[in-house]
Amino acid sequence: MKNNIRVERAIKNITQADLALAIGVSRQTINTIESNRYVPSTVLALKIARVFGKPVEEIFTLDDED
Amino acid sequence: MKPLFLFPYWGRYLGYFLVLVHIPIVLYKKQLIGLHAVDEGVFNGQHLFFMSTTLLVAIGLFIAAFSKEKIEDEQIVQLRLDSLQWAVYVNYFFLIVSLIFSTDTEHILFLNLLVPLVFFIIRFRWKIFQNNRLIKE
Repeated sequence: MKNNIRVERAIKNITQADLALAIGVSRQTINTIESNRYVPSTVLALKIARVFGKPVEEIFTLDDED
Repeated sequence: MKPLFLFPYWGRYLGYFLVLVHIPIVLYKKQLIGLHAVDEGVFNGQHLFFMSTTLLVAIGLFIAAFSKEKIEDEQIVQLRLDSLQWAVYVNYFFLIVSLIFSTDTEHILFLNLLVPLVFFIIRFRWKIFQNNRLIKE
């Protein structure tokens, strides 16, 4: 699964730490999601989408391998 | 996401402390309990000493392994479960190998007591360390 959290963060001008605080996870988790090392649960994906005010599909997209 | 029952955050340090405390006790065993020539029954000096020090290590490792992280999130829960799976695999590998190549059941039991928790702690902390290092890059 791919994601464009890094881009969305840049648009909104917030850091990994800000995003982590907003959804109640650690900075490490945001970092591993951004670098595609960890696939978040649906709950977490929805929370991230809500922070950016966009539907989940615009932030997370399926990979060829999925 | 609510994790299962875990000890509070400081439990990790309490656990390490208990394990560290046990080392000097075992090293100075002779000075502490002396050498009992006639020592019989189930609760003899040797057995009580062995039991108390082993309990110290087992409880220490247990608390250290199952205490909360500062920020408990779903990735930590995932890492904990992964590490537990690895710990069980490694434990059974050692158990099977030692059952085949050894008849020393007391030490097999001791190995079985320590390997899962020690391996779990090392693997879990290593993964957290890796994630922390990634963030600094």
